[in-house]
Amino acid sequence: MLASQNFTGTTRRLREESDTDDEVLASTLVDEALRDDGDYDDMESAGGSLQISGENIQQRLAAAATPLDFQAPLQNRFDSYDNYCTLFHFILNSDGPVDLELPTVGSLSHYVDTPTGQVDATTVASCGLNAPYYWAWDVIDEFIYQFNSFCSHRNVVARKEAGGSEEERKLLCDNPQTWGCYSVLNVLYSLIQRSQMNEQLAAIKKGQDPKQVTISDIGDQMEPGADLGAIVSGEYGSRPLYRMLGYFSIIGLLRVHCLLGDFTLALKTLDDIELNKKAVFARVMAAHFTTYYYVGFSYMMMRRYADAIKAFSHILVYVSRTKNFQKNAQFDSITKKNDQMYALIAICVALCPTRLDDTIHASLREKYGEQFTKMQRGGPDALQIYEQLFMSACPKFISPIPPDFDKPESNIDPSQHHLQIFMADVRNSMLAPTLKSYLKLYTTMDLNKLAAFIEVDPEVLRTQLLVYKQRSRQTRWIEGGLLEGDTVNTSDLDFALQGDLIHISEAKVGRRLVDWYLRNLAKTY
Amino acid sequence: MTFDTSTRPEHIQGILSSLDRYNPETVTIFQDYVQQQCENRTYDSLANLALLKLYQFNPHLTRDETITNILVKALTVFPSADFGLCLHLLPANALTEPPIDPFAEAVLKLFSLSRLLEACEYRDFWMTLDSDDLYADLVTDCAGFEELIRLRIASTIAQSNREITRELLEGWLNLVGDGFDSFVKGSCGWAIEGDVVKIPLNKENEAKTTVTRENVKFDQFQRVIKRAYEQPA
Repeated sequence: MLASQNFTGTTRRLREESDTDDEVLASTLVDEALRDDGDYDDMESAGGSLQISGENIQQRLAAAATPLDFQAPLQNRFDSYDNYCTLFHFILNSDGPVDLELPTVGSLSHYVDTPTGQVDATTVASCGLNAPYYWAWDVIDEFIYQFNSFCSHRNVVARKEAGGSEEERKLLCDNPQTWGCYSVLNVLYSLIQRSQMNEQLAAIKKGQDPKQVTISDIGDQMEPGADLGAIVSGEYGSRPLYRMLGYFSIIGLLRVHCLLGDFTLALKTLDDIELNKKAVFARVMAAHFTTYYYVGFSYMMMRRYADAIKAFSHILVYVSRTKNFQKNAQFDSITKKNDQMYALIAICVALCPTRLDDTIHASLREKYGEQFTKMQRGGPDALQIYEQLFMSACPKFISPIPPDFDKPESNIDPSQHHLQIFMADVRNSMLAPTLKSYLKLYTTMDLNKLAAFIEVDPEVLRTQLLVYKQRSRQTRWIEGGLLEGDTVNTSDLDFALQGDLIHISEAKVGRRLVDWYLRNLAKTY
Repeated sequence: MTFDTSTRPEHIQGILSSLDRYNPETVTIFQDYVQQQCENRTYDSLANLALLKLYQFNPHLTRDETITNILVKALTVFPSADFGLCLHLLPANALTEPPIDPFAEAVLKLFSLSRLLEACEYRDFWMTLDSDDLYADLVTDCAGFEELIRLRIASTIAQSNREITRELLEGWLNLVGDGFDSFVKGSCGWAIEGDVVKIPLNKENEAKTTVTRENVKFDQFQRVIKRAYEQPA
């Protein structure tokens, strides 16, 4: 079965085997999909050597959620991988659901994450209640973080840029399966399946309680052969530990797909999760934050800038409103990501001019004022700024396969690859700001005259107008899955060419009076 | 982005919605499906992306020809972001200049075609396409490639033009004479009057000034009205 081969001590042996490892791992992934409940018995033997005893499980649970030092030597990373494999194997493949006492974490402050931030009796109590959320999030978060940094590190070593000793190279070269993509995806998908998370979310979406309704109630998307009478949440999914691990694994998948450059699948993964403040991930600040970062980033890479801006502003507004209450360690760690999101929103707004929320606009000017102005102005000078901001704010992209250690020159930093594709799109819109500033002044205009103003060939201007039009039409989410959407005009300026005559129109927004009126009314009364 | 699933066969849907999408054994099924899309002029981006992902994970299974076919199909749905999304899933060294192997060269050639289309430089696009036999080899598997591209070009033109000179349009569509007349009148439904082609008004090319007004809902006044009842003046 699934984990018997790759979550246990046998991983070491597997690593030394042939190229077909990938296929072995892949087929175990598929086996899991076709898994028939009840044939757990045969996996017992494989896990035998690493049975986790009662005492050290607590340590392992705590260790799984503890950040690995950034500078940790390679050996620690290997060990950590093995630890995760053992732990997940234990959780997924024991005889029936595991009953765990979650680690009582020493510093409560790390886990206090309410908007009010006051550590009073109720918070402490609710912390106990919420502990599975935080713990589960930390485990998944750290698991993916280590995977990510391991792959990046391996790539750097293979490129021989930052040195990296021969010893390291050899170790990495000999162990291509450690932190393999298939095993990481395998863990995440298994956690989701074990907790029947997608089914549970489907039930919740329909307003049902997954612990009450049966599989037949949610009907439509069931695999054939599912036990229709079974409770949706299942034996595993009704336990907080499995439920939370399953839920956050979905967020984890979003992240992994994004790191691998599959932005479509990243967003598709969230099909069953509704993005709003009531969503479960919103209870853990870091999860809330991470989700929106990757959703926004994926939208940006799909050129759905309007949607990206919406995602980024949602979370940035949320952070700026709650920052005064969140003076704990968790908040410090997201400050960096916060700045990255400002960089990304600056890129998106420069490419797709949109009015931002006032507070965000102010912070944006404060953090990236100069760059933002340059990008908004467009032209060749701006390209460099786009590149800089993109590189400083993109996730650390990874390549799913181990690099070629024998040919350092053939290993390209995946970020460069993605940057190159992204910049092709950016380059295309460098004239847009100039064009817009002129068009705004007229209602009709002759093409040749305008071309003389901006000093380009009339035919170049004509194609640029087509480009402008084409880029202003974007797919924008209305409802349903995150990939859905209608094509809309995202620009406040529109035009049509009649021969050489440009007809220009503007979409004006009328003054908004009601809010002002109500606010003042509330003051006087 | 086109998510039209109407032409997607059931067995493909089955693979896409299960973990079989990671199973290297499904590679051949997806490859056949790409072939089918090329022949039947259909397009299924999610299935093609899934195949590219399988190649990404299992480089030894990669078939260069299938990848270039996918890229060519993605060209036919420009200006959607599909072409770029496919590129993101290719090995990172596929876009390095100068190309490292014939496959990378093919990818770079297609990338340059895509950039010309995105930049609306249609005349250059057709010239580039004719400039090298390699291009002809790349697009040959994709039935009706030129016509599919032409239809897409026509739709971007219809977005921003009401009238356009015949000469210009001939260059953009790479058609002259009877072929031009029948395409413009038949496939596009536009009218030719002398030297000018007239494109009927549509939602995109009317360029009407609009004013978005505020939508006031009664609910917003709930509190004011409630208060008025609570504290009679």
